[in-house]
Amino acid sequence: MMTKQGVKKERVVVICPGRGTYTKETLGYLKKFRPAFSEFLNLMDEKRAALGMPTLSELDNEPVFKPQMHTKGEHASSLIYACSYCDFLNLDPEKYEIVAVTGNSMGWYIALAVAGVLNVHGAFEVINTMGSMMKDEIIGGQMIYPLVDDNWMIKQSNVDLVHAALKEVNLQPDCKAYISIQLGGYAVIGGHQKALDFLLKKLPKTENYPFQLINHAAFHTPLLKQTSEKARQILSKDLFHRPQIPLIDGRGHLWTEFATSRDDIFNYTFQHQVVQPYDFTTAITVALKEFCPDRLVLLGPGNTLGGAIGQILVQNKWLQISAKSDFIELQKENPFLISLGRP
Amino acid sequence: MYNRAEIVDENFTKFVKASHFPPARTHVNLQDSGLKSTELIDLFESQVISRHLDLRARILKNTNQCFYTIGSSGHEGNAVFGKVFRTTDMAFLHYRSGALMIQRAKQRPGSTPVYDTMLSFAASSDEPIAGGRHKVFGSLPLMVPPQTSTIASHLPKAVGAALSITRARDLGHEGLMPNDSLVICSFGDASANHSTALGAINTAAWTAYQKVRLPLIFICEDNGLGISVSTPASWIENNFSSKPSLQYLKVDGLNLLDLYQKTKALEETVRSSRKPAFLHMETVRLMGHAGSDMEFSYHSLEKIESLEFNDPLLHSARIILENKLLSPEEILKMYEGERARVEHVGLAAIQRPKLLKPEDIRSTVIACVEQKMAPAAPEESLREKTFGREYAKLSTPQHMAKLINYGLTDLMLRYPQTMVFGEDVAQKGGVYNVTDGLFAKFGAKRVFNSLLDEQSILGAAIGLAHNGFLPIPEIQFLAYVHNAEDQIRGEAATLAFFSKGQFTNPMVLRIAGLPYQKGFGGHFHNDNSLAVFRDIPGLIIAVPSNGIDAVKMMRACVREAYEKGRVIVFIEPIALYMTKDLHQVDDKGWTFPYPSGADEILIGEFGVYGDGKDLTILTYGNGYYFSRQAEKILKEKYNVHCKIIDLRWIAPLNHQALAAELENSKNVLIVDECRKTGSFSEALVASIVENMKTLPKIKVIAAHDCFITLGVAAAAGLPSKEEIIEAALQMKGIKVPS
Repeated sequence: MMTKQGVKKERVVVICPGRGTYTKETLGYLKKFRPAFSEFLNLMDEKRAALGMPTLSELDNEPVFKPQMHTKGEHASSLIYACSYCDFLNLDPEKYEIVAVTGNSMGWYIALAVAGVLNVHGAFEVINTMGSMMKDEIIGGQMIYPLVDDNWMIKQSNVDLVHAALKEVNLQPDCKAYISIQLGGYAVIGGHQKALDFLLKKLPKTENYPFQLINHAAFHTPLLKQTSEKARQILSKDLFHRPQIPLIDGRGHLWTEFATSRDDIFNYTFQHQVVQPYDFTTAITVALKEFCPDRLVLLGPGNTLGGAIGQILVQNKWLQISAKSDFIELQKENPFLISLGRP
Repeated sequence: MYNRAEIVDENFTKFVKASHFPPARTHVNLQDSGLKSTELIDLFESQVISRHLDLRARILKNTNQCFYTIGSSGHEGNAVFGKVFRTTDMAFLHYRSGALMIQRAKQRPGSTPVYDTMLSFAASSDEPIAGGRHKVFGSLPLMVPPQTSTIASHLPKAVGAALSITRARDLGHEGLMPNDSLVICSFGDASANHSTALGAINTAAWTAYQKVRLPLIFICEDNGLGISVSTPASWIENNFSSKPSLQYLKVDGLNLLDLYQKTKALEETVRSSRKPAFLHMETVRLMGHAGSDMEFSYHSLEKIESLEFNDPLLHSARIILENKLLSPEEILKMYEGERARVEHVGLAAIQRPKLLKPEDIRSTVIACVEQKMAPAAPEESLREKTFGREYAKLSTPQHMAKLINYGLTDLMLRYPQTMVFGEDVAQKGGVYNVTDGLFAKFGAKRVFNSLLDEQSILGAAIGLAHNGFLPIPEIQFLAYVHNAEDQIRGEAATLAFFSKGQFTNPMVLRIAGLPYQKGFGGHFHNDNSLAVFRDIPGLIIAVPSNGIDAVKMMRACVREAYEKGRVIVFIEPIALYMTKDLHQVDDKGWTFPYPSGADEILIGEFGVYGDGKDLTILTYGNGYYFSRQAEKILKEKYNVHCKIIDLRWIAPLNHQALAAELENSKNVLIVDECRKTGSFSEALVASIVENMKTLPKIKVIAAHDCFITLGVAAAAGLPSKEEIIEAALQMKGIKVPS
């Protein structure tokens, strides 16, 4: 596809971030999008206010980051959606041709919005609803542990450790844990708090790992079965439309513009996606191989997925990237991964 | 005018814009078809992707960046098979299966079929199934074993794979395929005339006719052409529509609705009834046989244009528009979108690494990804019960046929995955009684008679092995293997190579053979050439010379096949089956007690008899037997002391070990019972010359380049005890007494 000036547009895959990306470093992220996207941001604020919730502007304008407030699902989800969506709206259509969209975890809902499956109203409803599912009590939690060494090569001993620890913890009563996200060189584990407490002690410390993700429920595990059922009851299929950009989900399945069934994508979103592992590694691999983009564009806020994406490039030896140092070098010279949320 | 690919491509856009479509050949409503509207569009999308893969392959071929242009254009209706059949239904596919593979991959999220196909076109070592060794449709997760399918040699194994489902169910065997699976096998109308195809279809019908369940669907994709030769009108229908016990169904390959409705119904029928069927898909071929094929040399422009107008993509577009599912603009948007995607994927794929080094290329000849450990030997009490009255005779010296029989009994006990089958092997126990009693001991599910068709026997073995069984098929006589050799050469031996060891078809193929039968058979029962096997990469060839070795070698073979997925040919010298004596009548010098325990002779390990310094004899099989006779006379009568090396294994040959064994030999006599030209003796001489620092004097005694005759002269022209003695004396410079 060419620009008006006859220059070839860059073919990019857009990646939408998940929870945990709105941090003290990204506080105030939305400010830069005013006045360009005020209409959208005002709409979000109005919808939140109508529900009696703090508006996104209020949250984003707080003088300091308050973990207990900003990381809560009902606030963080919508904040991240708004930041990401503004980044997406801000992409220069003259420069970029978006050939596919994907996301990680909650980023799937944002991807649905970016691809046009959900309009702004639908996206708000889905994201705010799903983020608010556990206002009173969070079901389980999630923790993260590395599976790679310093060069981002898979460290089989860590893989074995995680599987052995999971096997051990799952033998205990009322104590279930599962791989919830395949996140490049990391395993994200979701489960009962009791199980996570065991794993946090059991898995050997390496730098800051393992650690628990604050205010994250055990999404992408069977523990969320009731949440899945509730979501399908309270959210309407009518919110869903045909994608305008191909979407890659958390299994690596491709949802295309004309062949997507609304029922199927609705069911995937609130069934499999909620209670089965989210395979971000495969999603990115499919994006690379089935679209061979010129670049990847990671929407903000923040840049926490950057490492995981780099690790997936290493796993696939994409663009001759065989180790962390190759990726860093490439990023310096001619970034393959454009991180819009990078401070 | 000559680039029909460009014309077909342009026509699609032009005709969609102009709403100029070919009329429907069959009429099925969307609602009646069982397809949802998005499912129909999804199938169409797979057709479009497949078409663009073909078009891109031809463009890349022009710059030598693609190495395969036999495409799927015209056959894109087979996307329906990719949807209807499960990824656990093993699929042996025709080389025009692009759309089928794209659609089948959609059942496994995370698949990357466009990229993988492009890597295949570009012969990149990154290609996940063959690693750049061939353009094949194959995938382990999609359960598509790779093969080239050009000569329909994949049909016999499809029958075996279907039989494996039934056997797995009967025997409680856990294979790759669930018990409710079926097997599909596609091929073209011209290929349907291959003897392999006809043999396999006949075997399927023969099997089902006897009420043996065989969940198998042959899919004949009939485009009316075999390169330039037309298939006679209605030939496929008339040839295959009235086979006994084989359901026939014709479908319109240009109409996704008809195709889906009928295929789905057939799939349900075959899955529940487990009876074989023949699905006849009528379609067209577009853009010639391959990129290099100029259709103008055998078709008129009118004929070509008529075929091109019946482009299945145009038919599908028409159906979509008739049902108001998409607008012409949306159809063209999809078409161009997929073109751009395929183009970019192609650009990336051609940059990926290629196979260059010979060692990298051959690294997969005997690859096996899923290596496993052999099961433990059976409990002694179970052995005693199974052997029954014969248990007490195990320590009594026996001839080779009986010892192999005992060996097979133990192996079938130890490896429940093993199956023995072939002509007359069941109740009769084989024409030489080698399989005597196995039927009674292990039952009809594990020991069964085949029909008289060697291709089918080998095909059954390959197919059963695909689903985790360990076949020990028997070919009754060595000469009989020749009408089926490609099942070993082109199929069994290439599977690991073309799949990087992801698929293997382990087996131990027993063949009774070699000459010296007294007064029986002539050439067809005494064939004395192993050349047909010797050049096949990766094949292990065993030729025991006596019963005790045979048992120990067979144990090693079965273990190697089980643990490493190897294909092994085990040649049993017929003339030695019942031989008991060595030097004189009733000396029982060639009988041995059964080697109990788990002793094995390692693959490649020689047997060495004697330590004479005057002469070393290199031999195997019957040659070893005669050499042993000659050795005694040479020692006692002529004071010539020999060492005899029983090579035991024709392949692999350990050249270094051989050179070491011959290090102090001044005279080496090679005794080879096979026809001299192409015999093992040639390789042995070459090995000695290439690997020994000091060359010994070498002499070869081999069979004459002639076929074996009948009657009293059956052994004429074959190496004999007398000839060995004469040659030995000659080498030692001892005058032979007249």
